[in-house]
Amino acid sequence: MIKFEEFKLDNGLKVIFHEDKTTPMAVVNIIYNVGARDENEERTGFAHLFEHLMFGGSKHIENFDSPLQLAGGECNAFTNNDITNYYDVLPAQNIETAFWLESDRMLELAFTPKSLEVQRNVVIEEFKQRYLNQPYGDVWLELRPLVYKSHPYKWATIGKNIEHIADATMENVKDFFFKYYSPQNATLVVGGNLNLDQVKSLSQKWFGDIPAREKYIRNITPEPVQQEAREKTIEREVPADAVYLVFRMADRMSDEFYVGDLVSDILGRGKSSRFYQKLVTEQRLFSQVSAYVSAGWEDGMIIVSGNLMEGVSIEKGLEGIWQELEQMCSHEIPERELVKVKNKFKTSKVFSEQPLLNRVMNIAMFDLMGKLDEINDELHKYDVVSSQDISQFAKKTFTKNNSSTLKVKAK
Amino acid sequence: MDRKIAPEYFQAEELKLITPEKIALNNWVDLYWIKDVKDDSIKLDIEWRAGSKYQDKPLVATFVNKMLMAGSEDLRAKDIAEEIDYYGGYVQTELDKDHGGVTLFGLAENMTSIFDVFEKAFNELSFPDNEFNKEVSIALDKFKVDSKKVKVLCRRKFNEALFGESSNYGKVATEEDFSKIHAADLRDFFKTYYQKAPVIFLTGNISDDFIERLRNWANRFNVRSNDSTVQEFVQEKGRVQVPYQDALQSAIRIGRLMFDKNHPDYFKFQLLNTVLGGYFGSRLMANIREDKGYTYGIGSGMSVLEDGGFFFVTTEVGTDVKENAMNEVYNEFDRLRNQPIPADELMRVKNYMLGEFLRQTDGPISMMETFKNIYYNKLKPTYYNDFIEAIHDASAAELQDLANKYLNKEEMLEVVAG
Repeated sequence: MIKFEEFKLDNGLKVIFHEDKTTPMAVVNIIYNVGARDENEERTGFAHLFEHLMFGGSKHIENFDSPLQLAGGECNAFTNNDITNYYDVLPAQNIETAFWLESDRMLELAFTPKSLEVQRNVVIEEFKQRYLNQPYGDVWLELRPLVYKSHPYKWATIGKNIEHIADATMENVKDFFFKYYSPQNATLVVGGNLNLDQVKSLSQKWFGDIPAREKYIRNITPEPVQQEAREKTIEREVPADAVYLVFRMADRMSDEFYVGDLVSDILGRGKSSRFYQKLVTEQRLFSQVSAYVSAGWEDGMIIVSGNLMEGVSIEKGLEGIWQELEQMCSHEIPERELVKVKNKFKTSKVFSEQPLLNRVMNIAMFDLMGKLDEINDELHKYDVVSSQDISQFAKKTFTKNNSSTLKVKAK
Repeated sequence: MDRKIAPEYFQAEELKLITPEKIALNNWVDLYWIKDVKDDSIKLDIEWRAGSKYQDKPLVATFVNKMLMAGSEDLRAKDIAEEIDYYGGYVQTELDKDHGGVTLFGLAENMTSIFDVFEKAFNELSFPDNEFNKEVSIALDKFKVDSKKVKVLCRRKFNEALFGESSNYGKVATEEDFSKIHAADLRDFFKTYYQKAPVIFLTGNISDDFIERLRNWANRFNVRSNDSTVQEFVQEKGRVQVPYQDALQSAIRIGRLMFDKNHPDYFKFQLLNTVLGGYFGSRLMANIREDKGYTYGIGSGMSVLEDGGFFFVTTEVGTDVKENAMNEVYNEFDRLRNQPIPADELMRVKNYMLGEFLRQTDGPISMMETFKNIYYNKLKPTYYNDFIEAIHDASAAELQDLANKYLNKEEMLEVVAG
C-alpha cells in the first residue's frame, strides 16, 4: 500500500508527498505532461532532445549536475511517447538542493547555443548506438508507422530520422519550453525520510513564485480503428530472420489494459508460457519468442515478436503463432493458468515497490494519468479478470484485420 | 531569496550497515540471513564455486548453470517451470568467472513450495538431450546476434588480451565451441562443482521452519568447497583492432590489470577513477560527451575478480572520431598525472561517492549485496567505513601520485572494434 498526501501551489503546481522513514534517502521527481506524442510531425525527437537540454544549465545555475553531486546526489530522466520524467536521489538532509535545482529549470532554462549544439550531437550518437548500430535496433522505427497511420504514436521517441534532430533550432527550444514546462503542466512528487511540513515549505519557497504560464490543452485525434491486415518486409544485416506481430488494444487507463497484460503473460512470460512451450520447446520454430503490451496512454498495442530458428521460414513461424492465438480465442483458459499469471504479477509487484524511487515514480505516473486515487487498486484490477474476459479479449484483438506484421529477413 | 546561492548541504554520515546473521546449516554450508524486511518478499541466493574458470572446455559452466532447472527424462523442464510459476516464483540463474548459482524469488507464503520444486529439480537433474539441444540452439542464436554488436566484440577481445587467451579468465567462446560440447560434459561438471557445499544468502522475513527446511537440504552436501589456486596473467599492451565492416560506431576499451580490494591503493584509486570516469559529471563525460559530443556515453571502472582486478575505460563513438576520442582519453590521463585535482572538484566527487554509498546500501537486498562483497573478497567487516574514511582523507597530491603510478599509456591495452 502506497501512502501519500497532496496539495497544490497557487501557480497550479501539484505536489505529492510520500513519506518513508526507513531510508536515509529522499527523492525529488518531476513529471512533465509532454512526450513525443506532442511533437510536430516535421520535427520529431524533440521532446527527448529537450530532456537532454534540461541538464545544460538554467537561468541562475550554470550547471545542473555539479551542485547536486556536491550534495551527494544523483539524477536522471527519461522521455517516452507520453511523458517526460526527471528525478534526483540524494541524502534526505540535502533535499533542498534538489528543490533549488529543479525549480530553477522550471522557471527558465539558460538556452545556451553550446548546449544545443553538443546535445544534438549526443542524441545523434544515441540514435546510432541504440537504433542503427545493432541488429534489430530499427524495428520500432518501421513498426510504429505500420501500426499508426495518423496518431503521433507513429514515430518513436528518438524521432523519425536523424535529420529532425540535426535541424533543431534555438527558437524551437524556447517555444517548446514555454509551451510545456509550466507549473500547471507538471506534478512534483517528493518521497523519503522527510515530513509534510518540510515539503510544504520547501515547495512554496522554491516553486511558489514561478509564473503559472499557460495551461497546455492536448488535442490529438484518436487513431481510427484498423480495418485491414498490414504487412511489411525489410532486409537487414541480422543473424536470424525475425517477425513482429502487433495488435491494437485499449490504452493504459482502461480496464481492458489489465486483461491484455495478463494475456501477454499467458502467451509469453517465462518458461511455462504457451509460446515458450509450444513454439520454442515442442515445435522448435523460434529461438526466442515473447509477448508484451505497450501500455500507451492514448492507445495500446500487444506485441508478439520472435527470432526464427535456422531453416525455419517466417511463414512457418507465423503459422505457429497464429495457431496459439486462435487456440486462445476458441478455448477458455484453465483456471490454474490464470491463477498462475496473477500470482506472478503479485510477486513482481511486491519486489518492484521496494525501492523508494519506484514508488515515487509510480505516484507521478498515476497522477498524470488522472488515476492517483486508484494507485493501490492495481492488484484488485488484475484479480477480477476472469477466463471469459481473456477469451473475449482474444477474440476481439487477435484478428487479421487488427494485425500489423513486420518481417525482418536476414541479408 | 537569491536563486544563485545554493542551499546549505551536509556530508553524508557514517553508513549504518546490517550484518546478516550467520547460521551454520551443517559442517560446510553456511547461511547468511537478513530477516528485517518490511514486506513479504523473499530472495534466496545459492552460490557455488562453479564459475567459468573451472571449466575445461568453453561454455560447459555456462550451460550447466543455464540448465539447473532443466529436469530429467522423468521430470520435465516444462513441469518444473509450471510449478514454480504457479506459486508466483521466479528463478534466475547466475554465472560469472568465479561463481555459479541460482536465485529464487517469491512471497513468504509460497516460498516453501517454491523451494520444494527447486529441490526436486536439483536432485533429479540429468541434462536430458532434448533440453540440451534446445538450449544450445537458443544460445547459439543469441551468440550470433551478440556477435553483430561492436560493443560485445570489443569486450570479448579485451578480455582475451587482458588475461591472456590461455588463462581461464581470458578464454573466449567461439561459434565452433557450441558444437563441441556434450550433455556428458555438463553432467561431469555438475557432479564436481555443484555437489560441493554452496553458500546461501537469504533476504526476507520468513519462519524458522523454512530455515530448518534449508538445513535438511544442506545435509546432502558432504564435500567442502576449497579455494582454488590463483591464476597468473600476462596482459597484452598497445592497440588491438577488431575488424567490423560498415560500423556506424566504434566500440573502444582501454585498460590494464590492477590489484584486488585488499590492496592499500584500492580506496584512493576508486576515488581517482570516479574523477576520471566513474560518474555522470566525470572528466571523460565532460570532455568527450558534453564538450565534444563524440558519444552518448563514456565511463571508466575497476572490476575485481577472485584472481585479479582490472581497470578499464569504455565507450562507443562515431567511427570518424574514434582516434580523436582516444587521444582525449589519454589527455585526461595526462591531466590527472600533471596537475592536482582542484579542491572544488575533489570535494564534489568525495560527496558524490558518499551519497552513492548511501544509495547502494538502501534496502535489505542492497544491504545483502554489500555483505556479499565483503564475504567474497575476504574484506574486513569495517571495510565500508574504512573506505569512507579513506575518501575523506584523500588529498589531491596523493591522487596525482596514483595517477602517475597507474594511468600510464605504455601499460594500457587498447581494443577497438569497428
